[in-house]
Amino acid sequence: MRNSALLRTVITRFVVVALFVTSVGVLLSAAQDTINVGVVLPTTGKEGRPGQYQKEGIELAIKQINDAGGIMVKDKGKKLQIKEVFYDDQSDSSKSASLTERAMSSDNVIAVLGGYSTALGQAESVMPDRYKTPWITTGAGATAIFGKGYQYAFGTLSPVALIGTTSAEFIGSLMDAGTIKKGAKVAMVVENTDHGVDYINGFTEWSNKHAGYFQIVMTEKFELNATDFNGILQKVKSSKADIFLSDAHLPDYITMHRQYLQNGLHHEMISYGARGPEADARKALGAGTDYIFAGIWWSKMLPYPQVKKFADDYKAFTGHDVDSWYAAPAYDGMRILAKAIESAGKLDKTAIRDALKKAELKDSILPGQSLKFGKDGQAEYPFVITQNKPDNKVDIVFPKDSATGAAVAPTPSK
Amino acid sequence: MDAIEYLDLLLKSLLLAGVYAAMAVGMTVVYGVMKIVNLAHAGFLMLGAYFALEMYERFHIDPVLGAVLALPVFFLFGMLIHKTLVRWLPKSDTPTLASLLLMFGFWLVLQNIGYLVWGNEDRSILTPLTLSSVQLGQISVPKVNLIVFACAVVCMIVLQVLFRRTWFGRSMRALIQNPYAAQIVGVDDEKTSRLTFGIGTAFAGFAGALLGMLYSFSPDFGRQFLLRSFVIIVLGGLDSVSGVALGAIVLAIVETFSIIKIPASYQPAISFALLVVVLLVLPKGLASLFNRKWRAA
Repeated sequence: MRNSALLRTVITRFVVVALFVTSVGVLLSAAQDTINVGVVLPTTGKEGRPGQYQKEGIELAIKQINDAGGIMVKDKGKKLQIKEVFYDDQSDSSKSASLTERAMSSDNVIAVLGGYSTALGQAESVMPDRYKTPWITTGAGATAIFGKGYQYAFGTLSPVALIGTTSAEFIGSLMDAGTIKKGAKVAMVVENTDHGVDYINGFTEWSNKHAGYFQIVMTEKFELNATDFNGILQKVKSSKADIFLSDAHLPDYITMHRQYLQNGLHHEMISYGARGPEADARKALGAGTDYIFAGIWWSKMLPYPQVKKFADDYKAFTGHDVDSWYAAPAYDGMRILAKAIESAGKLDKTAIRDALKKAELKDSILPGQSLKFGKDGQAEYPFVITQNKPDNKVDIVFPKDSATGAAVAPTPSK
Repeated sequence: MDAIEYLDLLLKSLLLAGVYAAMAVGMTVVYGVMKIVNLAHAGFLMLGAYFALEMYERFHIDPVLGAVLALPVFFLFGMLIHKTLVRWLPKSDTPTLASLLLMFGFWLVLQNIGYLVWGNEDRSILTPLTLSSVQLGQISVPKVNLIVFACAVVCMIVLQVLFRRTWFGRSMRALIQNPYAAQIVGVDDEKTSRLTFGIGTAFAGFAGALLGMLYSFSPDFGRQFLLRSFVIIVLGGLDSVSGVALGAIVLAIVETFSIIKIPASYQPAISFALLVVVLLVLPKGLASLFNRKWRAA
């Protein structure tokens, strides 16, 4: 009898305390003058470095927006500050998906930014429509993510296929100028991912539309983190190709190019897709990386005033130079989200989604200076082609209006 | 492809076999005596690569010498790991779940220590030898791969001598053949296991330092080699050092030559198909085809 009375008292007190805590929470959240934005990126694990750069880009944008007073939300009648809710997915795709779900379902966020690289972005991409929450991937560019009819998924990376297309266009321009002979044989060796497939598709599409420029004599795919490329490189050698094009992530780029050089191979033009100017690769292979060209989403050498300002602000904010493209699409991802929230005039997720579909960032730091999303949710803007030069120098060599130096072609033999 | 190109591929696959043998031998030794599937082997490979890098960058010690220095350092490290962790595992004639989980957990710990100390960027060891090759007619042979191959061969010979000509080697072989009988005739199970784990770790560190000369690495390094190590030791017969050499040669040749006819993206599938076939047809490995006397352990 006494035991049941004691139990009743304990339960009653527990319920009272729980109700009190919940009420305080609800009141506090109602009174909050902030807009919660989820950020899910890898800052540890194998993708930790690019993830960290993307996080810094987003945080710089948030700081600048907050320093300017915040985002004007019409139905609140005032400017609200942005509050970042950050999760490190540790480069693990299952964590990436579950943390995105957690941000969307439990953290009261109005949108989630993140998803570097394609594999992690793909894992996250199933959540936005499920939770009717806008999601902007700042680091996944494979078209497979955006071809599924998702309504709440957006991406600030131009499609990977465009790297292939732009690379073809760049070499085509060298052929028009007589630097490289038309009808060159091309060997393509890409990673066995959507990224690699998109690259081949992009290049092939341009080649098919422009007859007489290229003759694709070999296409081969390899598994990520391969240990030996000698067999593939032997096939490349046997194909008697004039141009060698690959699409690889950094470790595979370093391993493959090391074996390429050790095998004494030489081609008129060499590319590893979006890889080329990375400091880690140049440190690993020294002058062996000279004259490799790459199609990248952004370069701090772009001749726009807003790019210079971003580079200066980024250095002041993080204490280090912006030495890669990763931060730029993340920075603009946050800025276009802020613009969409302001256009929506309310913190309704579907209204923000609708505003994102129409939003355009006219002072974008990305190539072309304009960022907007296509019908499938993915942004589309031109790539820049960079080429490594001796003494760790890198130049933009294409398009010509952004070029900081002339392309060296064909690749000089050592 | 012409005859020269086939010869080139054969030579490259033999050099690759040297890499594979170097990375798998430490794991085989530990499995043979202790029946532990040492998943932390990948972590030791990673630490070996960073050891060579630190020796090279801080003290300008050549990576090959760095790899040799890794042997005593990792031997002591392995003994320490055995004393603090491995010896508490229940003894068994077959791999246990406890040992699998312990070594997997320890690998994750090593990986995270790697991230804390060295960050997550890809590192490499660039020496004047890295990109240089020896020209044999029309075939160019990377000097670094030749060095790794030579080191792997020396490593195998040392282990063979150790197993065949020393009291410790006889103790190990006795434990592999029949642990209970070995203890009855006076083999110190604990001490032999400790030394074995030390040797396995030493060769993992040694191999890691050599692999660091061939590949870029991050704290996640070793994962891709771990799966291949499994294939090699199963091909070789699970507890045979000479079987490892044979397994490494077979895997390297199959992987390299299959690319001529089959897309390279199927390379892992080919390796594992080979593993399945060997498990079904020759569960004791390719080495079982030969005279038992030929077996090292």
